[in-house]
Amino acid sequence: MTPSWLYYLFGVLMLGVAAYCLVMTVLSVATNRPAGRDVDISHACMGVSMAGMFVAGWAFGPDAMWELAFAALLVWFVVRSIQSLLRFGLHLPHASIHAVMSFSMLLMYWFPMGASSAGGSMAMSSTGPKLDSGVAFVLAFVLLVSAVFTLASPNKGASHFGMHAPAYAMVGSPGPARPAHPDDGTSPTVALEELVATPWLVDASHVVMCIGMGFLLILMT
Amino acid sequence: MWWVSITDVGHSTAPSATSWSQRSGGVHGRPGDLQRTFRLLLATVWLLDAVLQLQPSMFTRGSNGLSGMFAGVAGGNPGWVSRTITWNASNVYHQPVLANSVFAGVQFFIAFGIIGRRTCKPALALSIAWAAGVWWFGEGAGLIFRGGATPFGGGPGGVLFYAVLAVLLWPSEGSDRPFVAARTVGVTNAKAIWAALWGILAVLSVVGHGRSPQALRALVVGVDDREPGWLARVDRATESLFVHQGTTMAVLLAVVCLVVAVGVYLPPRVTQVTVVVGIVVFALVWVAVQDVGGILSGGATDPNSGLLIILLALTYWPLIDLPHPSEPSTNGRSPSTEEV
Repeated sequence: MTPSWLYYLFGVLMLGVAAYCLVMTVLSVATNRPAGRDVDISHACMGVSMAGMFVAGWAFGPDAMWELAFAALLVWFVVRSIQSLLRFGLHLPHASIHAVMSFSMLLMYWFPMGASSAGGSMAMSSTGPKLDSGVAFVLAFVLLVSAVFTLASPNKGASHFGMHAPAYAMVGSPGPARPAHPDDGTSPTVALEELVATPWLVDASHVVMCIGMGFLLILMT
Repeated sequence: MWWVSITDVGHSTAPSATSWSQRSGGVHGRPGDLQRTFRLLLATVWLLDAVLQLQPSMFTRGSNGLSGMFAGVAGGNPGWVSRTITWNASNVYHQPVLANSVFAGVQFFIAFGIIGRRTCKPALALSIAWAAGVWWFGEGAGLIFRGGATPFGGGPGGVLFYAVLAVLLWPSEGSDRPFVAARTVGVTNAKAIWAALWGILAVLSVVGHGRSPQALRALVVGVDDREPGWLARVDRATESLFVHQGTTMAVLLAVVCLVVAVGVYLPPRVTQVTVVVGIVVFALVWVAVQDVGGILSGGATDPNSGLLIILLALTYWPLIDLPHPSEPSTNGRSPSTEEV
């Protein structure tokens, strides 16, 4: 049996990312800068949801509510991906990894992991239908690739605010520009957002989310 | 170029006085640095290994636990080899949680280390040492001493390919031409490594138990009930094939390996064909015989040799049609430049 501290550790990490992204969402609304807000919202939902999967006692809300939320996020990111493809031609859209993450979350609710896979403290132990472990493995591998290439990207923060990391890890071209606020540098809220939205921190939140989700998917195999 | 075309623009819609990347202070990588891209893929496999190491069964003392896995490969080896493996398994048995936590931690360290530019070389060096240790203690020296190191089953040890890749992808300046694996060790050495490696695979295919239908059947027999149905069906077909044509399959694999070994010395177009053959064959072996390293049935600690051989083969892909990174690109328009 996996020591429970491991699941608590992942649970705390997930809640940490969720709390961070919640703060980012509030600040982006306060400063009227929508860049990355959809990613913040999705990470906040995923963090809270996965914390409840790692530690049974931390789960809350009906599954249907989470399924609805992740289905909506999936549709949103798929639409964003299609828009990007239509606009720029064949390429790997930034939003696609977030679509994969939303899809993975949906699968984790549709196919709670088997009792033999899950540890004692986990919430999603079930003897119901099991997700094809090949699908779970492919999704986990994609998430781990995203984690590695995000960390390697020379454009810190790009995973959050625009350009998806793999392109920049390989291309090394200039990073995306973030919309400037009229009060940049003078408003306390904007200053606070600049402080909180440190590029390496927003990348770290994505990496932690990918590894946590990848681990859960591996447990489903 | 494909790596240029996969750029994308995100949510930014207004011009900015301050580039987000400038704030980050990031150091831009060299455009089209394929060696680094392959290192990142290697880091991904190490990260996968680290995550696999966190599976519940790894922390237990049972036969599916880490100590049980180690002890399982000791049998059949010469006494002096077997004793070292058993000694290590015993240590892990007494402290399963601590030992497995250290194992996972080292693999996370290697994965993240390879990503960092300053930590890359130490991490790769550690990965070579770690791979050697795992090969001996965790894979029973690749079962070479037992005569069961057939490439069908992962011989001469999947973890050895991590070490080979670490050497070939050791950071260095220079061109990715004529193929990425030659950038650090040079074309002559890289070709020699390739030929030796595939030559060894060819030999191991037909020596010892490698050509025994029953031994080959044993690689896939006993379908795990946790496997997905499609893989179980593939396993049954493979089992039947090995029972009836096991020796033939072993000889065929040896021939393919020899052709691939020699292919690197042939003209680039022919080399490309042999590399594709090697990739396709080991992709089939990885799925149909190695069962994706056993990951799909839970309890695996690595993806076995198939995936690593494919990655290795890609580093030998002759870049005959590739424009040099320093040459002006004809694809000057990209989403990023348009948007920013």
